Amino acid sequence: MIEPSIALYGEAFKQAARILARMLEDTGARYALLVDRKGFVLAHQESLWAPPPPDLDSIATLVAGNAAATRALAELLGEEHFAEILHQGKEQGLYVEEIDDNAILVVIFDPSAPVGRIKIEGKKSAAALKKILAEAAADTAAERKKLGLDTEYRESAAALLDDLFGEA
Amino acid sequence: MSTINFANREINFKIVYYGPGLSGKTTNLKHVYSRIPENRKGEMVSLATEDERTLFFDFLPVDLGEVKGFKTRFHLYTVPGQVFYNASRKLILRGVDGLVFVADSAPNRLRANAESMRNLRENLAEYGLSLENIPLVLQINKRDLPDALPVDMIRAVIDPEGQYPLFEAIAVKGQGVFEPLREVSRRVLERLAAET
Repeated sequence: MIEPSIALYGEAFKQAARILARMLEDTGARYALLVDRKGFVLAHQESLWAPPPPDLDSIATLVAGNAAATRALAELLGEEHFAEILHQGKEQGLYVEEIDDNAILVVIFDPSAPVGRIKIEGKKSAAALKKILAEAAADTAAERKKLGLDTEYRESAAALLDDLFGEA
Repeated sequence: MSTINFANREINFKIVYYGPGLSGKTTNLKHVYSRIPENRKGEMVSLATEDERTLFFDFLPVDLGEVKGFKTRFHLYTVPGQVFYNASRKLILRGVDGLVFVADSAPNRLRANAESMRNLRENLAEYGLSLENIPLVLQINKRDLPDALPVDMIRAVIDPEGQYPLFEAIAVKGQGVFEPLREVSRRVLERLAAET
């Protein structure tokens, strides 16, 4: 078994999406993402007024890499972790908060959104998400069994692999 | 372990290209990127120095398509090969589902191949992982070098027991790039099916 992977489904997913949406409402930020530390997007929300976001996979991957590097730096300095990462540009800012050992909260905001509020709401949202993720993790094993990711899945996927990677 | 996102009905796998510096890991990814149809790939991200040495990682998401109602995707990563960058290299291994080890055929890189394989085992061990539980395939790259070492000699230092699938490649010409990727992906899928 490699890494506890997080699976969000049903009610847990809806709750996480609601927390992200509320975060956007309360802060006036553009986008909020729940990302796992491997760099996969678990859930995301966009403000209605915001333009379409840049490629979410790229954001998630870079944030996860950045968070991993930041944590390694913290450990080198004898800290358990650094609580948050904040980048502020002319047009947009990026706020990253560690949720737990598996997940990260990412908020992208305009200069008009107050940073203090982003931080306060970010920490609040991270705490709420942490609870949901802990509950979801407990259910994961049982849910996986129900998926039916069996030989049939493997064979169909392998056929697609041949289609996509078959030519050389 | 693969990440399963039930809400979006997605299954994601993380494949990492490992190996010594300049063995051709980024070249592999660039070739994959150039050959995969536009609608099946995302943006390729490269964090490299000015002289095109990978500093942190390269990243390429590939969309396999829908399988039994699940969108199935592979995220391909390379690590920085240079010995110096071990701290960042180790971070990329987090959550890895499958590995392609890219070895260099040049005679003066034989030792680098061996050291990189040892480094891979050490870094996996820090995550509590080993090559017993992560699918690994070998790609012996740069077969077109005039003084390329015999494959058996390279295998002897990275896989003395001959237990991993091996592919010869000239990645810069696109030869032998897709075969190891397909094989490791197949093995990763098998493992998922075995787990669930």
